[in-house]
Amino acid sequence: MSILPRFDQVPLPPTSATEYNTVCQFCNVGCGYKVYVWPVGEQGGLKADENAFKVDFTKPQAVLKGQSYTEAMHSTTVGKDGREYNIVIVPATNSPINQGNYSYRGGSNALTMWSLDRGTQDRLTYPLLRVGDQFQAITWDDALALMAGIIKGIRDRDKNDDNIAVKCYDHGGSGAGFEDNYGAGKLFFTALSVKHIAIHNRPAYNSEVWGSRERGVHELNYDYSDARLADTVVLWGANSYETATILYTQHILENIQGSTVAEKKKVFDKDEPAEAGYLIVIDPRKTSSYTVAEAAAKNRVLLLQPNFGTDYILANAIARVVWERGYYDKAYLEARTDMKLFEDYKKKSLKLDVKYDEFMAQAERITGVPKAQIEQAADWIAKPKGNKFKRRTLTIYEKGIIWNMKNYDQVAALVQLAVLTHNIGRPGTGCGRQGGHQEGYVRPPSPTPGSIYNGGPPVNVDKFLTSGKGKFYWVIANDPYLSTPNNQIFRKRIHERTKKLTRAIGESGEPSTTQGRIDAILKALYADPDALFMVVQDIYMTETARDAHLVLPAAGWGEANETSINCNSRLLRLYEKFMDPPGEAKPDWEIFKLVGEEIAKLYRAEKKNDVAAKFEFGKNWKTDEDVFLAGSEEFADNQVSEEDEAKLEAENYKGVTYAFLKQVGQEGIRTPVRLDPKTKKLVGTLRRYTVKFGTADGKFKWYGTDDWEGYPAEVAKYLEGNKAKEYPFWVTTGRVQHLWQSTYHDRQLPERVITHPLPYAEINPEDAKKLNIESGDLIEIFNEEGNAIYMAYVTDAVKPGSIFMVMYHWRGTSNSLTTGYTDPKTTIPWYKGTRANVRKVAGAIPFIKQTASFLQQNKFS
Amino acid sequence: MQRMLSRRGFLKVMAMTAALFSSWGKAALAAGSKLKPWLAPSLPYKSVKVGNVADLTVNKPVTFNYPDANTPAVLVKLGKPALGGVGPQNDIVAFSGVCTHMGCPIQYQGERFVCRCHYSMFDPAKAGQTYQGLASTWLPQITLTVDKKGDIYATAVNGLIWGRAKNI
Ligand code: SF4
Ligand code: FES
Repeated sequence: MSILPRFDQVPLPPTSATEYNTVCQFCNVGCGYKVYVWPVGEQGGLKADENAFKVDFTKPQAVLKGQSYTEAMHSTTVGKDGREYNIVIVPATNSPINQGNYSYRGGSNALTMWSLDRGTQDRLTYPLLRVGDQFQAITWDDALALMAGIIKGIRDRDKNDDNIAVKCYDHGGSGAGFEDNYGAGKLFFTALSVKHIAIHNRPAYNSEVWGSRERGVHELNYDYSDARLADTVVLWGANSYETATILYTQHILENIQGSTVAEKKKVFDKDEPAEAGYLIVIDPRKTSSYTVAEAAAKNRVLLLQPNFGTDYILANAIARVVWERGYYDKAYLEARTDMKLFEDYKKKSLKLDVKYDEFMAQAERITGVPKAQIEQAADWIAKPKGNKFKRRTLTIYEKGIIWNMKNYDQVAALVQLAVLTHNIGRPGTGCGRQGGHQEGYVRPPSPTPGSIYNGGPPVNVDKFLTSGKGKFYWVIANDPYLSTPNNQIFRKRIHERTKKLTRAIGESGEPSTTQGRIDAILKALYADPDALFMVVQDIYMTETARDAHLVLPAAGWGEANETSINCNSRLLRLYEKFMDPPGEAKPDWEIFKLVGEEIAKLYRAEKKNDVAAKFEFGKNWKTDEDVFLAGSEEFADNQVSEEDEAKLEAENYKGVTYAFLKQVGQEGIRTPVRLDPKTKKLVGTLRRYTVKFGTADGKFKWYGTDDWEGYPAEVAKYLEGNKAKEYPFWVTTGRVQHLWQSTYHDRQLPERVITHPLPYAEINPEDAKKLNIESGDLIEIFNEEGNAIYMAYVTDAVKPGSIFMVMYHWRGTSNSLTTGYTDPKTTIPWYKGTRANVRKVAGAIPFIKQTASFLQQNKFS
Repeated sequence: MQRMLSRRGFLKVMAMTAALFSSWGKAALAAGSKLKPWLAPSLPYKSVKVGNVADLTVNKPVTFNYPDANTPAVLVKLGKPALGGVGPQNDIVAFSGVCTHMGCPIQYQGERFVCRCHYSMFDPAKAGQTYQGLASTWLPQITLTVDKKGDIYATAVNGLIWGRAKNI
């Protein structure tokens, strides 16, 4: 008996199987994978010359070195030719990033493919139209006519595109890439001019790291090899063991265990000390990224647990210690940074006019981190080695910093600490994002502003919509019903508004022709300004789709050629198409092109040929590569010297073709790509800002961070008077090892549904005891923003008085409780901090208690 | 599982879940699925005696080899009912000793299996599910039977042992 279908043999790909190169569809690390496809019914043999792996399976593989091929790495699908195919997706042993290693998520790539054998058969396969309370199949022709008719109708009436709101990804990986991003950019920014556009995981069109970019530092500036070479790695608000798993286990862990010392010796200066690395984890939780390291290399790891929202104060305090102890190189600062602005930094961030002891006492009080720990961190980050050699520290940060209170200042404080200690642009250094997913941004300029220092901040599109503005809402490959802040209000309002339109067009009997429908919808939208038309374009029916009027089926990973870069090395590779999209599903870029062409037809009919031409942006796009190449035209001329890499866009790939990428395979090429002026060859950029920073004069631009001003009103209200008692817990939120983003695939896979049947919340044993809560119990977490019923998970990962909620789960989102606060400088939300109360609802659901594991996830020894 | 169900209550739940699992397991594969021939147990496993109920102590794992002489496996009495558990308390389980991630040996460490290579952890009471770490595939569970004398036999492996295309 087993809960799941388990297999005790798997078919080997025969030598006739077609082999493809690709990159994991999931996280930022971008592990390399190989795919084999061949018809069901055939099978390779165990001997090395009898299978496509060219591996001898007559005896077991060598531990850690052999080709991993597990039950989760095989699946079947049906091609457009009606034949059944085996699909095998295994980690690539020739990828420099993962070297044959893989994580829980990537190891299941095959299980997520569209298959009639599994839950993934639920993929969207043809366009769906809401008729009253049902979704009915329609053709692409009708769907496109409907889209075009409504969009043009709105433009004609308004004379602008301000009533068109869009929520679209801007990333690579996960079935998107440069191609799809460029398609979106051309439709929304060149043909249309959409100001009310928001990015997949946040309510505005903004960078999450303007605090770094405006200093002259793009957030992807290091190489994975720097994680192997660093004397110290700092993981700041990044639980990399769970969210960048292979970067952590294959590179960071090997470094602190001492396996990379020989590599260090090769790269370091003559006589420079090289030993096993140190790791500093900075997080309000005792994450597995800390406890794994503790189990593996106890004396080489430090955990700092700052109070919520205080990380920038902590970064400035570490910087002050660095200043006091002289762990900086004045000549470097003078040569490479703007010394006029440095005065501002000294005054506001380092606060040199406050005495050291007084400053540190204040920092300790605000952050809750003891002075001794702050000083130890400064030593590990910057104390010269053998008094002569600069220490090499790589700082990797992610959503704990980005989705913190005061996004701009948090990010700025971290990158300034790195530059103060010359920990950028040298082997073993860097200060950048870990990343969530991979990247693939190429678009024409957007009609949206920058940060508050560059014409902004950008509009909060959630608030635009919940306040009753906008008429057309197009949600593309993301699930705002899980992912947007202050979610309960958002869901309620979008539901209300879309329902108003549904009622208006179909109380009894809806118009039966497409044109009749367009007319009725436009009439209703202008009769009731609160009515809203919603389109969802995705690979599954999402939570958001339940309120949509039109649902468009998109192609996923592996169903079209695409290109992306990973986050740890900006490594550009080709993700080859290895199967057909299910049914009538289409790649996003093609959908954008077709919508554009359909709108163009309407303009041509009115003889407005110049407007029509703008919408025919995709008329020469026959293949994915056509879009990739068209996108490259957006980038600056990349025939520049090595030191001028700093001037190039981080993702500049001008000159790269699919043929080039096929040639380089898993080795890829690191962006920004340069056309070397001397050799006329394309070369990648291993590590950024070695000679210059990305500013007009090449100098780093300092910024004086704000003082500690306490919490914003949305959260401060919970800390005063009666409410302080009513909502006694700090709440933080985040991702976990086994659930990917909005869990769109995870919910289809029985092994994940068993292990994570419900969203869970971590609670400290002390608090659990007081509330009579055990692991598995149902608890309600609530505040004035919303409520969520979660499963309790008792663990010391959280301190007493705080709880951690899993971010997005199909049975509930932590964002029901997050506030509407965004950083006034950037419009980035604080997803990671609010207050709430907890009550026990009931004991565990018996079936769940029986089948799900409640063993402590951060306890490794 | 702090508050244990009464034995009768437990058996009822076990029967209920057993029924659910077997139907779930089959339902998860479509009727005409081409995967069926590989569904475990699909190979001719030998029945091998691996211990006696009376000799086992709670939380003291016993290693043995299965399904062949070179392949480590672990037998353990958990002291609490487990999915697929045998013996009077339904608490005796056995698993492959090879991590499904990249083949390292796993260690039993009070309630859990831990692999020290990349820290995957598996829950022996819950069918060997990966509850943390990198292994996409749960630990293969070894089917056990107990005869009247209390002798425990390994009779099949549910799941693929890492590094092979077939278990035997
Ligand atoms: S670490 Fe990330 S990229 Fe690598 S296999 Fe896992 S999910 Fe995929
Ligand atoms: S081999 Fe066991 S976790 Fe990697």
